[in-house]
Amino acid sequence: MLSRNNLNRFSAFWRHFPAANAINLTLIIIGIMLIWLVISSTIENPARYLPSPIVVVLSSVDMIYKGLLPSYFGDTITRLVVGSAIGLTLGIPFGLLLGLNRTVADMFYPLMNFFQSVSGIAIFPIVVVWWGNSDKTVLAVILYTSFFPIAFTVLSGVREVPLRYIHAARTLGATRYQIIRDVLLPGSMPHIATGSRLSIGFAWRAVIAGEMLAGREGLGWMIFTGQDADKTAEVILGMVMIGVSWIVLDHYLLRPFEADTIERWGLVQR
Amino acid sequence: MPAKLVVEGLTHHYPDEYTGESVHALEKINLEVQEGELVTVVGPSGCGKSTLLNILAGLLPYREGVASVDGIQISGPGSDRGVVFQEHAILPWRSVAKNIGHGLELKGMVKEEREARVQDFVELVGLSGFEDKYPHELSGGMKQRCAVARTLCADPVIMLMDEPFAAVDAQTRITLQEELNRIAIATKKTIMFITHAVDEAAFLGDRCFVFSARPGRLKAIVDINIARERRIWADMNADDEFVRARDEILRLVREEVSVAVEE
Ligand SMILES: Nc1ncnc2c1ncn2[C@@H]1O[C@H](COP(=O)(O)OP(=O)(O)OP(=O)(O)O)[C@@H](O)[C@H]1O
Ligand SMILES: [Mg+2]
Repeated sequence: MLSRNNLNRFSAFWRHFPAANAINLTLIIIGIMLIWLVISSTIENPARYLPSPIVVVLSSVDMIYKGLLPSYFGDTITRLVVGSAIGLTLGIPFGLLLGLNRTVADMFYPLMNFFQSVSGIAIFPIVVVWWGNSDKTVLAVILYTSFFPIAFTVLSGVREVPLRYIHAARTLGATRYQIIRDVLLPGSMPHIATGSRLSIGFAWRAVIAGEMLAGREGLGWMIFTGQDADKTAEVILGMVMIGVSWIVLDHYLLRPFEADTIERWGLVQR
Repeated sequence: MPAKLVVEGLTHHYPDEYTGESVHALEKINLEVQEGELVTVVGPSGCGKSTLLNILAGLLPYREGVASVDGIQISGPGSDRGVVFQEHAILPWRSVAKNIGHGLELKGMVKEEREARVQDFVELVGLSGFEDKYPHELSGGMKQRCAVARTLCADPVIMLMDEPFAAVDAQTRITLQEELNRIAIATKKTIMFITHAVDEAAFLGDRCFVFSARPGRLKAIVDINIARERRIWADMNADDEFVRARDEILRLVREEVSVAVEE
C-alpha cells in the first residue's frame, strides 16, 4: 500500500541517496531540453527564433573547433578575475578603515550609497567618454561595480563585531593595530565572504554588459554580435555559457568559502 | 606589605544623554586586596559590581577617586590586569590553543616558547585533547575554562572575574569552582571574583566584600578562614566556618535585596 508515510520515507531516502542531487538535476535538464526541442520543431523558421538544442550543440562544436569559444571565454573570465580582484583588494581595506570610526562611517555612508546606486550600466556612458570603447573602460566598470558592495558589507561587518571581543583583546594588552589585525579583520570575515560573493556576482553581470556596450571580444560580445549576424544558435550558446560558468564558480568556489567561514565562526551550529 | 590593589573614594555616575539624569552606580568605594588573595564581591543586581570591574580593567574611565595596582594609577587597559568576562569572550575564529596563547602572541613571544607555555595552561584547566577545537565546538563550561586559561596564560598581576560561571549548569559550576580553587593554590594569583551566588562567594573567597544596593557602597567585609587545601564541596556543609560565613553573607545580602524591593 502506498501511504503518505511510505512516500515520505521514500523521499527521505532519496534525498540521502548519494548523487541524488545530480540525478535530479540531470532529469530536470533533460526535461527542459525535450520541451525546447518540441517547441523549436513546431515553430516556423526555428534557425532564427529558437534553434533546437542539437543545433546549438553543433554550433558550439564548430566554435570550439575554430578556437573562438575558448578565446571568448578566456577573455571574459580574465576580465572578471582582474576587475573583481582589484575591486576586492581595494574595497576590503577601504570598508575596514571607514568602519573603524563611527563618525567617519556615518559621514561616508550616504556618499557610498549614492555611488553604489549609480553602478553597472549607469556608470558606463561617462567612462566611455573618458576612455572610449577600450579594455580599460570595461575593466573600470567591473572594478567600480565590485568595489561598492564589498566596501559596504565590510563597513557594516566591522561595526557588528561584538564589543566584548575588542575589550578582551584590550585587556590582553593589544595595541590599536593588533586589535584591527586580530579582532576586527577576522571578526568581519563572514561579511567579507558574503560581500565577496555579492561583489563577484555583480562584476559578472558588469563584464557581460561591458563587453556588449564597449564592443570588446568575449561572451557578452559574442551574444551581441550573434544577434546582428542572425546567428541565434550562438546567442543561445553564449547565454548558456554565461549561466553555467557562474554556477560552477559560485558552487565550487564562492559558496564553500562563505559557508566555511560562517560555520567556523560559529554563526551556524552544525 | 603594601596592598596589590587599592581603591580609594571611587565614585561613578553614568551620564544619560536622553533624560539628563545620571545613574549613580558607585559611591565612595574604599578597598584593598593583598597579594595572593582571592576576594569575592557580592551585592544585589545593579549595585555596580560590573562597573567596578570595568573601571579596574581600565575599560571605563572614572573621574572621582583613585584606583591603583602596585601603586600605579589605572588609566586604561593593560596586560597587568587580566579579565574573565561574564559572557564568554574568547574569539570564535581562534582555536583553543590560539585563544589561550593570544596574550603571549600580542607580547611578541616566539612560537616555540609560547606553545610550551600554552600547553601548561591547557593541562591546568583540563582541556587536553581540545587544543585544536574552535569555541563553537566546546560546551559552555569548556569555553569558560578556555577563557580562564587565556587570562592566566598572559600572566597578569591581578585577575578580575565577572560572574564567570553564572551561565553554566549547577554541576559544571561546582567543578569549575573547585578547579579555580586549585588554580589559586597552584598560581598564587591575586583574584577579584564577582558573583551573585552567596555559596560561591563563601567557597572561593579569603574575604568577601558585600555591596549595598545602588548606589553601590562597600557595606561589610566577611572573613572566611578556611585553608585552600580544605576547600572541597563534599566537606563544606559540615564545615562550621563555611556555614557561618555563608549565612552571614546571605543575611547581609538579604537586607540589601529587601531595601531594593522596598524602593
Ligand atoms: N553603560 C551604562 N550606561 C548607563 N548606565 C549603566 C551602564 N552600565 C550600567 N549602568 C547602570 O549602572 C548600575 C550598575 O550596573 P552594573 O552593571 O555595574 O551592575 P551589577 O552590580 O554588575 O549588576 P548585575 O549583578 O545584574 O550584573 C545599573 O543601575 C545600571 O543600570
Ligand atoms: Mg554585572
